[in-house]
Amino acid sequence: MRPDDERYFERLEADLEDALAVARTARERGGDPTESVEIPIARDMADRVENILGIEGVAARVREMEADPDLSREEAALELAADFAEGTVGDYETRAGKVEGAVRTAVALLTEGVVAAPIEGIDRVEILENDDGTEFINIYYAGPIRSAGGTAQALSVLVADYTRTLVGIEKYHPRSEEVERYAEELSLYDDETGLQYAPKDAEAKFIAEHLPIMLDGEPTGDEEVSGFRDLERVDTNNARGGMCLVLGEGIAQKAPKIQRYTSQLEEIDWPWLQDLIDGTYKESKGEGESEEIEGEDGTHEGDDSDGEADESDGETGEGTETGPADIEDPPRPDPETKFLRDLIAGRPVFGHPSEEGGFRLRYGRARNHGFATAGVHPATMHLVDDFLAAGTQIKTERPGKAAGVIPVDTIEGPTVKLANGDVRRIDDPEEALAVRNGVEAILDAGEYLVNYGEFVENNHPLAPASYTVEWWREDMAAAGADVQALEDAPRVDLEHPSAGRALAWVEEYDVPLHPAYTYLWHDLDIERFRALAEAASGGEWVEADGAAVGTPETTEARTLVVPNTDPVREALEVLLVEHTQGEETLTVPDAVPLVRSLGLTDDLEPTWRTLSAAAREWDDGGNAHRAVNEVAPFEVRERAPTRIGSRMGRPEKSEKRDLSPAVHTLFPIGEAGGAQRNVADAASHTDSMRDTPGELEAQVGRRRCRSCETSTFRARCPECNDVTEPHYVCHSCDIDVEPDEAGRAICPRCESEADAVQRTTIDVHGEYRSALENVGERENAFDVLKGVKGLSSEHKVPEPIEKGILRAKNGVSSFKDGTVRYDMTDLPVTSVRAAELDVSVGQLKSLGYGTDIHGEPLTHEDQLVELRVQDIVLSDGAAEHMMRTADFVDDLLEQYYGLEPFYELETREDLVGELVFGMAPHTSAAVVGRVIGFTSAAVGYAHPYFHAAKRRNCFHPETKLWYQDDDGWHYEEIETLVESRLENPEKDDFGTLVQELDGDVYVPSVTEEGRDVIRPVTAVSKHVAPEHMLQIGTESGRTLRVTPDHTMLRLDEGGDGDSPASIERIPASELEVGDPLPVHTQRWETATSPGSTGRVPEPVRTDGGNEFDTITSVKYNKSDIENTYCLTVKYTNTVSANGIYTGQCDGDEDCVMLLMDGLINFSKTFLPDQRGGRMDAPLVMSSRIDPAEIDDEAHNMDIVSSYPREFYEATREMADPDAVEELIQLGEDTLGTDEEYRGFDHTHDTEDIAAGPDLSAYKTLGDMMEKMNAQLELARKLRAVDETDVAERVIEYHFLPDIIGNLRAFSRQETRCLDCGEKFRRVPLTGECRACGGRVNLTVHEGSVKKYIDTAIRVAEEYGCREYTRQRLEILDRSVESIFEDDTNKQSGIADFM
Amino acid sequence: MPLEKPAHIARELASHGYTADREAITLLARAGDTAGSLALAVEATPDGALKLTKEDVREALETRPEGRRDPISEAEPPSADTETPPREESATTAAGGDRGGKPDEGDGQDPLVSTGTGGDRTEDGNGGSPLETEGSSGITAGSETGSEAPNGIGQTAETAGAGTGVTDEEATRTADPSLRSLEVENDMTGYSTGTGEYGDFVSTFRDRYERLAGTLRGRVNHRNATALEASPGGGDAGMVGMISDIRSTASGHWLVELEDTTGTFPCLVMKDKEIAGLVEELLYDEVIGVEGTLSDDGGILFVDDLYFPDVPRTYEPSTADRHVQAALISDIHVGSQEFVADAWSEFASWLHTPEAADIEYLLIAGDMVEGVGVYPDQDEELDVVDIFEQYRTFSEHLKEVPGDIEIVMIPGNHDAVRLAEPQPGFDEELRGIMTAHDARIASNPALVTVEGVSVLMYHGVSLDEVIAELPEEKANYDEPHRAMYQLLKKRHVAPQFGDHTRLAPEAKDYLVIGEVPDVFHTGHVHKLGWGKYRNVLSVNSGCWQAQTAFQKSVNIDPDVGYAPILDLDTLEMTVRKFT
Repeated sequence: MRPDDERYFERLEADLEDALAVARTARERGGDPTESVEIPIARDMADRVENILGIEGVAARVREMEADPDLSREEAALELAADFAEGTVGDYETRAGKVEGAVRTAVALLTEGVVAAPIEGIDRVEILENDDGTEFINIYYAGPIRSAGGTAQALSVLVADYTRTLVGIEKYHPRSEEVERYAEELSLYDDETGLQYAPKDAEAKFIAEHLPIMLDGEPTGDEEVSGFRDLERVDTNNARGGMCLVLGEGIAQKAPKIQRYTSQLEEIDWPWLQDLIDGTYKESKGEGESEEIEGEDGTHEGDDSDGEADESDGETGEGTETGPADIEDPPRPDPETKFLRDLIAGRPVFGHPSEEGGFRLRYGRARNHGFATAGVHPATMHLVDDFLAAGTQIKTERPGKAAGVIPVDTIEGPTVKLANGDVRRIDDPEEALAVRNGVEAILDAGEYLVNYGEFVENNHPLAPASYTVEWWREDMAAAGADVQALEDAPRVDLEHPSAGRALAWVEEYDVPLHPAYTYLWHDLDIERFRALAEAASGGEWVEADGAAVGTPETTEARTLVVPNTDPVREALEVLLVEHTQGEETLTVPDAVPLVRSLGLTDDLEPTWRTLSAAAREWDDGGNAHRAVNEVAPFEVRERAPTRIGSRMGRPEKSEKRDLSPAVHTLFPIGEAGGAQRNVADAASHTDSMRDTPGELEAQVGRRRCRSCETSTFRARCPECNDVTEPHYVCHSCDIDVEPDEAGRAICPRCESEADAVQRTTIDVHGEYRSALENVGERENAFDVLKGVKGLSSEHKVPEPIEKGILRAKNGVSSFKDGTVRYDMTDLPVTSVRAAELDVSVGQLKSLGYGTDIHGEPLTHEDQLVELRVQDIVLSDGAAEHMMRTADFVDDLLEQYYGLEPFYELETREDLVGELVFGMAPHTSAAVVGRVIGFTSAAVGYAHPYFHAAKRRNCFHPETKLWYQDDDGWHYEEIETLVESRLENPEKDDFGTLVQELDGDVYVPSVTEEGRDVIRPVTAVSKHVAPEHMLQIGTESGRTLRVTPDHTMLRLDEGGDGDSPASIERIPASELEVGDPLPVHTQRWETATSPGSTGRVPEPVRTDGGNEFDTITSVKYNKSDIENTYCLTVKYTNTVSANGIYTGQCDGDEDCVMLLMDGLINFSKTFLPDQRGGRMDAPLVMSSRIDPAEIDDEAHNMDIVSSYPREFYEATREMADPDAVEELIQLGEDTLGTDEEYRGFDHTHDTEDIAAGPDLSAYKTLGDMMEKMNAQLELARKLRAVDETDVAERVIEYHFLPDIIGNLRAFSRQETRCLDCGEKFRRVPLTGECRACGGRVNLTVHEGSVKKYIDTAIRVAEEYGCREYTRQRLEILDRSVESIFEDDTNKQSGIADFM
Repeated sequence: MPLEKPAHIARELASHGYTADREAITLLARAGDTAGSLALAVEATPDGALKLTKEDVREALETRPEGRRDPISEAEPPSADTETPPREESATTAAGGDRGGKPDEGDGQDPLVSTGTGGDRTEDGNGGSPLETEGSSGITAGSETGSEAPNGIGQTAETAGAGTGVTDEEATRTADPSLRSLEVENDMTGYSTGTGEYGDFVSTFRDRYERLAGTLRGRVNHRNATALEASPGGGDAGMVGMISDIRSTASGHWLVELEDTTGTFPCLVMKDKEIAGLVEELLYDEVIGVEGTLSDDGGILFVDDLYFPDVPRTYEPSTADRHVQAALISDIHVGSQEFVADAWSEFASWLHTPEAADIEYLLIAGDMVEGVGVYPDQDEELDVVDIFEQYRTFSEHLKEVPGDIEIVMIPGNHDAVRLAEPQPGFDEELRGIMTAHDARIASNPALVTVEGVSVLMYHGVSLDEVIAELPEEKANYDEPHRAMYQLLKKRHVAPQFGDHTRLAPEAKDYLVIGEVPDVFHTGHVHKLGWGKYRNVLSVNSGCWQAQTAFQKSVNIDPDVGYAPILDLDTLEMTVRKFT
């Protein structure tokens, strides 16, 4: 690490330390559940290992060994084992303890201290006796060992064996029935749960016979073994999951890997491993070697048509000289249409697949490029009617599936045709806005900048590069020109040279024509090429006005006028030649290069009569590129061979995170506060005249002060302000119970579990008044103070109302863990300038930025400086919210804790330099960041490594769901579904593997209105598991384990009876006991109908209406898994999992928290269920990012200032990205060096990282209809978009499913009582509510069925949709009519009068 | 040497604007040079006449120099020279010889007592080989036409073996329209009065309750729910109710909640009672009657007996007064790439043969066409993408059928009408397309009475649900008629609301099986199966669509190209296979 970087981190940590000091003081004084700050700092892996194990001294030893470059992690683990055996590390008395410490540490080390396996996966180590009286080691594994992975599992056994020899314990001599038992159990477990690798019986027995350590574990399954039951040394007859994993996926699968280490160690000798590897019992295909299970998807994308492309490339590269016999087609990647799937109303298409006029691929990395980002010109953003803004996600044709849009203004903008016929390229966002209303057509969407690393990341073959200035520059250099000198020459503009200059270079260096004058000949067909050449030849020069005659440059700046005919005009439009159109004429300024390209002399004399057959027939005559090269006196390169189709995905996000309803204080007020949970209302609420206002029953903690024994429900003693402790009382025996070390309180008398929660009367009025008094605020300081209905934490400790008062006063609300959060879409940036961040040079300097990227001293605001890895840019909204949070924190410090304010921010500039926590969803580790500036874009810009330092989520692998594929319906674990389909997955920044599906899998799903439907799955994904999972249990016995931020569906039963019940989406962590969850109840296994015909009529089988189930428990569990799985469901984005309807996961939004807020207000005590409640909460913070420890994906970013010529040439061969990897430096190349924190160079600058619209039109437009109209209007304007197809898709994927679904729902709907809300599967025969006699009504009405039908029919007509689609709509329309109209009323046709 | 197919001739004539009577077409088909004969016949037809009569044709042909006849080929019906699948044996036998009234009698696998085609024939009894059977059907065909006697009753045995093999068709093949009778009841086409209001749903279910309860009241001493609730408890009680809920209790008993127009009352079926087995046959929203004892607190009824509306055991179906037949088919799916046009033409041709001379009615139970938008991306599997063109094509195919056959059609779930049941018949536009034969179009379901025999035609969407809900042995796809028995038992074509079946609320419940039909005819599941339930013949006709990619993926093997032929005078059935 360079001293400079070291200083940076030290400074961050010093600031952090200052804040911590204040926070600690505050925590000691106030009413917080603990006296200390609850977020521990982990600086590095060593810290994490030590923290997770809680064994002192490990971190130091680990750091020591990490410093030794020759020592691998595995070897380090073995060294540590020796330390444990010797007792130099760890404080273990017993030999079993030493082994246990060594084993746990080994697992922690091998898993980098990020998973729970070392703690939860190894229950205990014990010493047992062999039949011969000697002692042996028994390791008791638990299910969570899964998250350690095979290698660490196997190594744990090895380490145990090694430690065993060091402390002098014998080997394990298994009894024969135990050996048999292992075999039986493994196959049972494999059947029941599934193993990645399941050893055959013989193999399992072989291993069991030879293992020097006994593997044991707790029962995990319901199935029992049938054979070897009730063994003396095996406690259970069920399968022991942990053991099976270690034996199967560990030892058996990773044998070669373990052997590498056993062979190095004298003490241990596992000769039998060789037999195992040699496959006496199995066929080892070397699978053991590939331990990176989710790693390198070695398969290549299907579209390598490069074989043929090679030849043609050689040809185009050489120019016109090559023989005419060679008539290969131009190199082009095959169009991909996947991204267009599931197009829905309101999200426009920007280009159909590889369609002319769409985005032109240009290679390069702008400074705000990272992973899954795409550079688009800000003028384009405006011209696509503002649908694109920084951070807007688009679905793209290649190289990845989706990308976040970033503004880059050093690429070419769009070319438009104005209403007056002028064709202009718009390179200025201001100009774009000025002409926007007059744009008749967008002939070309402009360039689309993608960095090379993106191709590496997606392992996508390179697509032919556009001929751009970068490439031309390399060509010039290769031809011997001193490019640097030219660049420095004052009157030469390399980007936009004059025509004369460009032509002069061609002559001087024999390089291809400069890209500025290279037109898109490849898009022009031969016929129009000829027409254009003829017209040009028949045209005439007019002198450009004001042109000074004489200089060589201006003689070339001549304006051509040709007659306005259709083919000629079209040709110019296709070529993207800027010109003006008159009634009779077309005027092309600066036309000499064009004229010469057409094979005319400067006097407009043709130099050719006929074209060679090869040129004529190339690409079936649809491509004039060869023709141009044949007739032009210079070489012309393909200007834009690769077009990239795209459509809008999700809009960007930047908003505060509120619970719903918003919560100011985590203080329970039950129903007394009304739907608003208004504390003031609760304070004056009475149930009856006799009650005291504000006194209400609530479930709160039963606590006792540890010093004065005062009983209270508060976290602090009201008498002495000392911390209170949970006071456990057995319900049945009514006696006090002391909890054991594990925190479980078991009643000694009746052995039932005691708890520390009581139902008691709280004087909300008193609490509220005294809180107001304590902080010296009056009620008019805020509008409303909202509490919560009840507490969901295990000990139900309420937060002091004072904090809520101050939150309400400052307009912020609390997340479930007591922190204030703000969500933003992630965007990367590696260099910034003060000007765009709305900060001054002085501020940057004060943050330690001394020089710009070129090493020049920082003096003015336009200089680019390289961003530090933990510095972040806040969106305006985030800054404002952080300001308010800071005010809240200051008030809190002053008015509540009685300390000095910490922030004292006057303006938002004062925020610069303040620390925040960044957190990705699905994680429990926060990363410390520092605010460096602000952006008007609705995104959070930060260093790519900062974003990558956070990871994410979804469903537990064992979640079962129904799905239908080609083989019919299945009820399987999601893991099975996903794993079997991960054929060629994409990998995103966070280690997520995503596989798009072709819609051959269908799942039951539910719509917003609560209708059951069946929807295709468009993608499946596998995620790195978070540390904790949320387990939800329901009344009817369903359980579901999801990541805490997983979107769940809750039935909103609608207050008044008239509004039908609807489904709301909330994060799982916000669910509470008693919430109704929509469930699906159909017996799907029988649902396959051979009926009707081809398919089940509509592949939709459902049960009716809004079934629901009530939550009875919400628990956090440490996750015992390595991966979670999810799927993307078309249109509804919901799926039935374990019979419960849930959302699918979404979003790459991260949140930021103000540092001091997190330090002071976060408490695990508030998290649902204390024992495990660890998710989506900052359980630990990383104070510095170690690039080596973040996800590999982040390393695939190129960090160079230019790409070499060979790269561009390789693109024309559509080579694999790794073919040129040597030529371009990636982030991974600097890992572990001093340069790992710096040197992120870029090929393209951009003026302002917030250029373009601040918000996508998708967010500013009104309702769905408005968005859809805008979407279709845009489709009409864009040349690359077929508006009919767009309309067709919107109808097909949005309107038709909606209409059909609602129609179906109507005819099988539930009814509901308007008065009491009681639901009926079918109307009561009495007609009235059976429960209350009230009015019953339908839940699906005519209105919801008819909602879209007229619009759909209109759109289908207006946009010329297929007859098929129109007929479907027509038939639906008639069906609707048939149901909702009375036939006998409408028959008043002419027949009635005859 | 294949025959020139009568169907082609018919079509050819139709394309020139002519129709022809059956004999005329048969004559033409026999003529050696069909094209020439056709031309001659058309020429010979009097100006202005659009129908070729046999006289015209014969005249035309006789004036020709030579009309070579081949007695062997002419005697052979088209189906005879096709390969016979294993099913053929059972397919060519008929149901209904057995009068036991047991539900099991329709088991498709048992070669039932053959009738008509050769019940007395030794070949059938001894050999039973497919080849023999095939032969027998061929011979029967010839013999039947030969011995045609208009007084059909009791003729089944007599037909066998008689005849010469040479047909004297003009003497025997007169279809006398005046003898026919065809009535359609329960047709709600044009009377869909529901407007999708809550009240419409209530009316529908009330009507269902009232009508089905009527059939049960005689058997059960009904006390309504309110009365039961008010009663002090103890003693015997009975109730007729619509099932609103079925639950199993913790101890494994069944709690069936019955509803009538006053409220609901819980009825407990103890698991050890014999009737407990019936619980698994119950579907929501069917109407049953129970009898038993009230609990002491009057809060629950312990069920001793459970009654379904059912078909009376003594039910005696009506029959036609003369020997006349009807073909019962469904699921033609014109427009699908899998539509088996050849088999259809084979069938249509066969209808022109003397063997089929008695077939005067053709009943089609839905899914005339494949439809559009029935499942996602259906257009990729369509042969004819345009829905109206599908019906046009269907109409063309229908023209291959002899012009004097009376046709009744109801829509199915693939047809271009609303999916919710009852489905009204095709609208004016579609009727305008399907002009061939001036077919009768009715709603789904509809009760069609053909010469005294009432045929309940229902497309059969609810069969999926019945099969899904009931135990395998009571309803499965290989024996679709068993699922139909359940519907007869419940006297409702689609009892369960809220699941698969879509309901369009109307003033009355058209889905109730009000009057017991003589024949129950459905389709939809693409499987062939028939049998008798308490003397009601249940027929699920196969389909005319070969296995689709989807069916293949879920391992469904449809029964393609079967035409069940019903003797209206005996209610005996023969199945023809066309491939």
